[in-house]
Formats: sequence, structure tokens, C-alpha cells
Amino acid sequence: MPVYNFKNMAPVPSANDLVDIVLTRTQRRTPTVVHPGYKISRIRSFYMRKIKFTQQTISDRLTAMLTSFPRLSDIHPFYSDLCNTLYDRDHYKLALGQINTAKTLVDAVARDMVRMVKYGDSLYRCKCLKRAALGRMCTILKRQKASLSYLEEVRKHMSRLPALDPNTRTLLMCGLPNVGKSSFMNKITRANVDVQPYAFTTKSLFVGHTDYKYLRWQVIDTPGILDHSLEERNTIEMQAITALAHLTCSVLYFMDISEQCGYTIESQCNLFRSIAPLFANKQLVVVINKIDVQPWETLEEEKRRMIEELVKESGPNTTLLTMSNVSEEGVSAVKNTACDKLLAARVDSRVSGNKVESVMNRLQVVFPTARDGIVREACIPESVSKERERMAMQSSNKSKKKKGSRIGYAPTVEDEEEEDDTPSESEDEMMDGEAGNSGRKKTARELMWENGGPGVWAPDYREQYDLADPEWRFDAIPQILDGKNIADYVDPDIEEKLRVLEEEEEQLQAEYEAANMEKMDDDSLDEMEKVAVGEIRDRIKIIRQYKERPGGNNRPVLPREIRGRTKDKHDEDAKLSADAIEKRMEKYGVDASKMVERGRKREREDPRVRRRAERAAAADKEMEDAAANDSDEEMQDGRGLSKGAIKRAKKEREQSVKREKSLARSHSRPREPSQMGLKDESMAKIAKKVESKGQMRWHGGKGEGDHTQSVHLVKWMNTGKKRNGTHYCR
Amino acid sequence: MPQHEHMERHRKLHGRRFDAEERDRKRTARLAHKRSEFAQKVHGLRAKLYNQRRFKEKATMRKTIAQHNERSNKHANDEAVADGAVPAYLLDREGVSRAKVLSNTVKQKRKEKAGKWEVPIPKVKPVADDEMFKVMRTGSKKNKAWKRVVTKCTFVGDNYTRKAPKYERFIRPTGLRMKRANVTHPELKTSFQLDILVVKKNPSSDLYTNLGVLIKGMIIEVNVSDLGLVTTSGKVAWGKMAQVTNNPELDGCVNAVLLV
Ligand SMILES: Nc1nc2c(ncn2[C@@H]2O[C@H](COP(=O)(O)OP(=O)(O)O)[C@@H](O)[C@H]2O)c(=O)[nH]1
Ligand SMILES: [Mg+2]
Repeated sequence: MPVYNFKNMAPVPSANDLVDIVLTRTQRRTPTVVHPGYKISRIRSFYMRKIKFTQQTISDRLTAMLTSFPRLSDIHPFYSDLCNTLYDRDHYKLALGQINTAKTLVDAVARDMVRMVKYGDSLYRCKCLKRAALGRMCTILKRQKASLSYLEEVRKHMSRLPALDPNTRTLLMCGLPNVGKSSFMNKITRANVDVQPYAFTTKSLFVGHTDYKYLRWQVIDTPGILDHSLEERNTIEMQAITALAHLTCSVLYFMDISEQCGYTIESQCNLFRSIAPLFANKQLVVVINKIDVQPWETLEEEKRRMIEELVKESGPNTTLLTMSNVSEEGVSAVKNTACDKLLAARVDSRVSGNKVESVMNRLQVVFPTARDGIVREACIPESVSKERERMAMQSSNKSKKKKGSRIGYAPTVEDEEEEDDTPSESEDEMMDGEAGNSGRKKTARELMWENGGPGVWAPDYREQYDLADPEWRFDAIPQILDGKNIADYVDPDIEEKLRVLEEEEEQLQAEYEAANMEKMDDDSLDEMEKVAVGEIRDRIKIIRQYKERPGGNNRPVLPREIRGRTKDKHDEDAKLSADAIEKRMEKYGVDASKMVERGRKREREDPRVRRRAERAAAADKEMEDAAANDSDEEMQDGRGLSKGAIKRAKKEREQSVKREKSLARSHSRPREPSQMGLKDESMAKIAKKVESKGQMRWHGGKGEGDHTQSVHLVKWMNTGKKRNGTHYCR
Repeated sequence: MPQHEHMERHRKLHGRRFDAEERDRKRTARLAHKRSEFAQKVHGLRAKLYNQRRFKEKATMRKTIAQHNERSNKHANDEAVADGAVPAYLLDREGVSRAKVLSNTVKQKRKEKAGKWEVPIPKVKPVADDEMFKVMRTGSKKNKAWKRVVTKCTFVGDNYTRKAPKYERFIRPTGLRMKRANVTHPELKTSFQLDILVVKKNPSSDLYTNLGVLIKGMIIEVNVSDLGLVTTSGKVAWGKMAQVTNNPELDGCVNAVLLV
């Protein structure tokens, strides 16, 4: 579900500000020093960069603006209609459209001017062109003054729209002005809406929240609606209409029976009838307000009938309630009824929807079938039933009408009937029961109060210790013994641990013996071999130690490409040179010439060429396979592939043949993508060189963008003798 | 949560602080001093921009003051109107001061004295060949230098066909070709973007005329059929002369005034 938050739209700068922003950014983010003595290509690129940078900045800013404003077709219909009434959809779209056009215009200007700069033959000309380009782009921006200021106003207003969720549980108040909608809103929420005794105090939608049944309810206060046709309604009323039309909610239609609001009951009924179509599919409560001034019962018979008829004709889904904001009579009843109705409707719609099906399918209630006819009742201990009896006696003594005690028990169906009228009494009795009977076990809390309250007496938890010998319970255990915390030496699993340790030791013993047996076999080696084995073992040990030496890998590592493949005396981990490899292998008595040869070969050939050759070989193999498949197509028909697949393959083959014929160009393999636009091998070489040069720059060489001021060494200050004052006296 | 006009609402509910008006008054009084302080301190590009803006503000201020004063200025010569009974058809006449009449006639005369064929820019600055053309060296050894590239903007007609590139002596780069001009109508004080039809003679050289080089002061013919102008004989004019008023190669566009 999308959450409508228009609060995080970035401010839209005014046209003048936008120009300032863009030009300042260009000035600060592009190099600023250029001289007529520079190579012309450098001068050109200097100015082209300025133009392109400006264009980029502008289009970035404008794109950000365009994306941050919501598209009216994408948001919830309620919001899009609200935007329509508040900001006028056409105007809104026009403004955004103009911004978009401005963006494309700026792009076009930049493209044209960059093209002109390419033919610039002097610094002056390039500069003039740049100036013209920036000027034209800024003019385009300045033309958007009206759109930009409009959009800024819209943004400001949107950011202050109430955060209203169109999909949640909602109560919506409507009615003529001054009938007490806002007062009711203030009663049930903390929205703090302005209430004044004149019409149109509330000029826009207000949102508040209230709680009912542990759920959060959104309450919407609307401006008053007058009874006239839709065309005549103004922006303020249209907001209320929009809310009514698009939100699925429980509607409270307010009526003022005291007629203090300045409208007769008849005109209020008329308004109800004229907006009745908007109440379709909604839960409707007609609220009769201000009964503190004019009670419902003493209302003139005629008017009362009028209202009752109105409710009747609007369908069975409508409820009539009376209320007063001043005496707070019926306020919560109205809220509860509206909430209940909406909740029931929402649950209904959920259940009737097809989504619930999948959940319902999985639900199953199983009743166990009776094994036999014996009735098995709950087993109540005798003491309990006795106690109950006693209690019943006591209570019946106190008040004859009481049926039974409920202390400690959840309310039952029979009890519930009486619960409402005598809650205070039953509480009284509970207190009495506690104090009165001595047969029941006292709780620790009671004991505490008896013995002086909290802080004076606390229960002794040692009583409840479950030890092998109950006598041990109250034994004193010191915390520190001989300067040691005895808790550190208590280990309930000590026996288990000891057993495990012993087992392990036994196993080790056995292994050691087995190894010793093998050692006996080692003796078959002669002296020389033994020495060699010892040497190998020593070497392994050294290598292992070297690897595990502290400070192992925690230092900057050069990538291999940069480090080079040859041995580096500062870095033992680098790859070995051919000589070193040969020498080392010789030490182990292995002939390394082949290995070195292979390495050389691999190094000589270009890795790309090698990979291509491998790929070509693979492709050739595939082709052969395909050809073979073609030839024995009939044979293959019966096997492996499905009929459809075979047909498809055949069709494809035919089509490819056709395509081949229709092509004018030969179907040779296309060139490497990196060499696509280049004439021949030599051009490719040059391109590669240039590219690598560019990359060198990337590695941190100084470029035009690096704005540095080197120390200017003045010759007369820095040359010559510096002793005996001659330095200053020249 | 504040909704809608929460600031105004707060003010309505709780009022403003007791010295709000006093603070406002002081702030506006201080503004001039703050401005002057800033103007004295600022330097560099910021100063330039600031002064430009201030200048504009002051100019508009002066203008509005003058406008207000104008009401008290006496343009009409009230004494010239005869006292007493005046026939109805003379009632709304005002006496016009002599000075006004004189100045108007002087202006009129000056306008008439100017020749009919006077153009806004009287002279086309002569352009030397080596400014106009860049030598392009050709041949595999780059030792031939007979080709020329035009460095100014040019107008190339729609139906122009290139010669074979190899033998083309003058190259007019496509990037510098102009098709349309921004033409200002001096009387309507509006500008239109119009197609260029022909480039008229360039006094410096026939060659430039043939190449259709566009430089400041040149006369061009533009397509005004969209404007719906009518000639004295009643026909709809579709081609009209205009003079180029800028250096197109420096501005990247052709600006011109219509000669009427
Ligand atoms: N006597 C009485 N006055 C009420 C009651 N509810 C609202 N009012 C008054 O009616 C006026 C308009 O109330 P308001 O809530 O602004 O009406 P809204 O325009 O429908 O929002 C205020 O002066 C309230 O004090 C009510 O139950 N009894
Ligand atoms: Mg209100």
C-alpha cells in the first residue's frame, strides 16, 4: 500500500534562484583558468565542458523536480481529485509539462552550441559561444518563472495537507456549516480544530485519530456543505465532497435540531437528500446534535417525523442517534456505533471476498466422537466444593438475591446477566471474603501487610527450596570462603566432566600407542631417507610458522596487475621468476624446463587472443555437432525432442536461411566491440595507446580539474648569498 | 500534528508576542544600515552581482517615484483653455504647451531627414581572406594547401549539391551552416524566427557572396509569408530584406532587423 507523504518534496527554487544556483555551480565545479596560448583543442574542451556541465546541472535539477511531484494519475483517486480541486489539474499538468519542455530546450541549446564550439578557432570565439550558450539556457529558465513559483506554492500547500490514509478505518463528519462537526471532532480526538460560531470556520479537511476496541481510527472533519448544485460549489465545499466520494468510511451526518446554526431542519433534510448518492455503500449515522438546547423528545412532532422519515427512506443501513457536544451526552455512543458499523462492514467484505477462501479452506473444527455413554464431569476436589458451599452460605446470609460466589472464577453465562447492575457489591464481598475466612492459605502479600508492610517484612523464599533433605533449606552458605567466591567452585556437572576427560585421555593413549606401532615401520627407511624425511618435516614446520607469524596479512596489498609478475624482493609472496622457479624445483630434484616453457608461451600470447581461440574452438565444435544433427534429422525425430520442439527448430532453421539470403552483407563474425569503429589494426593500436594514457590520468595524474596553486618562488628572493645581510642588500 | 495554515492558526489562538510590532519596525529601520554594511564589505563577483541587482532596484524605484510625480507634473497647458462657456465639441480639448509641440516636430523632422535606404548598420566591416578561411592541408604528405575551410557562419541553400569532395575548394562546415534567423520587426518590437531565403551581396568580395557567408551588417532576404505582411500594392509579401545585426559565429545564431 502506498503511503502518501507529500512532505519530503524538495523546495522548488524561483527562476532567479535557479539561474544563480546553476551558474554558481558551473563556476565552482569546472576549471577556471585558460590561456590563449593553450592548444586550441584544449581551449575548446575547456569551454565545451562548461556548456555541458551547465546543461547537465539544469537537467538534473529539473528532472528531480519532475520526479518529486506526484503524477495525478498514479496516486489514489481521492488525492488526485483533491489536487484537482485545490490546484486545478490542468494548471498542474501544464506547469510540469512546461518544465519538461524547458529541459528538452536546454538540452537542444547545449547540443547546438557545443557543436559550434567544435569549430571555434580562437579563445575569444569559444568564450563568446559559451557566454551565448549559458545566456540562452538561463533565458529558458527565466521564462519558467510563473510555473516554478506555482509549483513552489503547490509544494508548500501539499506538504501541509493532513497525512490522511485513504485505505484505513475512517469516520467522516459532514453536514451544513456550524452544526457541530468540529466540536465533535475535538471531543473524540486531539486534533484541536478551530471552533467558532460562524460558518466556514473549517476551510479544509482535518485529520485526527482516536482509539476504539484497541484499534486506531482515523477521524476526518470536513468543511460544511451548502445545499446547492455541484457546479456552484466552491473549493472549500468540494474538498468535503471529494472526501465523501472517494473514501470508504463510516459517515456521520450532523443535524442541528436547535436550528442555532442558521439553517432550518427542513433545509438540513434537503441537503441530506441531495448528497444521498454519495452515501451509497457507506455506513451512515444520522447524528442529531445540540440536544442540550432542544431535546429530541420535546421537538415538534412534525419535524421529528420529517427526520425519522428521512432516516427510513435512506435505507436499513442508517442509524439515528442523538448527541450533544456541550453536555457530552451520547458522544461516545455515536463514536462507538459508527465504529462498530464500519468494523462489521469491513469484516463482512473480507469474508465475502474471494481472498478469505484460501484461509477458510485450511480451517477445520473437529469434535471428538463420544467413546461411550458415560458422563465424565469435571473433577472438583472436596475441599474446594466445601469452600464453595461455605462461601455461598455466607453470601446468601449477606444478601438474599445473590445466586453464588464468583471469587476466583471467570464469569459464566449465568453470572453475566447480573454483572452489570451490581459490580460494586460483588467487589465489596470479595474484600470481605478475603479478610473473613481463615481457612484459606494466606498469600505472601497478605502476610507482608500483617507484618508491617513492604520494607519491613519480606517472604522467606528459602522455604520453597527443593532440596534432597528439607533440613538443608535454612543452612547458612557463605558467599566468600578463604578469600574465594564459593560460587566459582560449585559445578553440578563436575562428575560428568571428569568422565569425559578420562575418556579422552584413554583415547589419546590408544592413539599414541598406535602411532608408535607405525614408527616401527618407519625403521625400514635407510639413513639417507631418514635424513630427507626429517628435512622435509622441518621445512613444513618452518613454512607453517612463517605463515602463522604475527602481523600476517594486515597491510596494504598491491594488486597483482600492478605488482607485476616477477619476483619482488620486498614481497616474498609475489610470483617467482623463471630462474627462481627452476632453481627451487632443482632443489627438489624436478626438471622445471617444461614448466617454464609453458609459462613463457602463455605470457607471450595475448590473453584475449588466447580466450578467443578457445571460444572459436568451442564454437567450431558446436557447428559440427549441429551439422551432424541436420544430417541425421530423420533419425533424431523419434527420439528425445517433442514434436512441437522439432517443428519450431525446423521453422527457425528455414527462417535463418531466408534471412541469410535477404542480407546484403556477408555474415562473417563481427569485430571485437572494442575495435568496432576503427579502420584497421594500426588505428586500434593508437586507440589503445590513447585509452591507456587516459587511464593513467585516472590513476591520479594531475588534470585540468585539479585546481592547485603552486608556490611561486620569486627568483630574487631565493637565489644568491644569504649571509651577512647581502641577501637583503642587493 | 499541525495541519494547513498552522502558523496563522497559532497566531489566532495565542496571539503574537507583545513586542512583535516594535521588532518589525526596528528590523525595517535597520535594513538600510545592514544593506550598506554589506555593500561596503562585499567584493569580487558577488559585489558585481549585488551592485547590478541594487542598481536595477533603484532604477525601478526612481521610475515609480517619477510616475507618481507625473500626476502632479503639468503636461497640459491649462491656461490655454478658454474660460467661460465653451461649445460642447471643444469641451474635452486641452491646451498643449508649446514646448511639447516643438520637440515633437523636431523629432519628426529628424526621422524624415534620414534617407529611405538608411539601414541600421551602415557599413559592413571588411574581412580579410585569412580571417575568413583556414587553410586545409591535403595529400598523403599533407603538402598541398589549396583547400579552404570557411570559419564564419554560412547560408547554404536547400537545393545546393556538393561537388565531389575531393575537388571541393571551399568547405563550409555543416556545424556552421545557418538556416534560420531571429528577425526583429522594428515597429512591432517583436522577434520572429524566420527562414533565410538568400544572402545578398557582400561588398567585400563576390566570393563571400557566392559562399553565402553571414557576417554583421549583411543584407539577407527572409521568408515573411507567415507574418502576413502586405505590400503597398496589396499583394502578400513573402520575401523581405533584413540586416544581420550580430556576429553569428560568436553568438551561435543569426539576429537581424527587418528593413521596412
Ligand atoms: N449548544 C450546543 N452548541 C454546540 C454544540 N455543538 C457545537 N455547538 C456550537 O456550534 C457552533 C459551531 O460549531 P462547529 O463545531 O464549529 O460546527 P461546524 O461548522 O459543523 O464544524 C459553535 O459555536 C459551538 O459552540 C452542542 O452540542 N450544543
Ligand atoms: Mg468546522
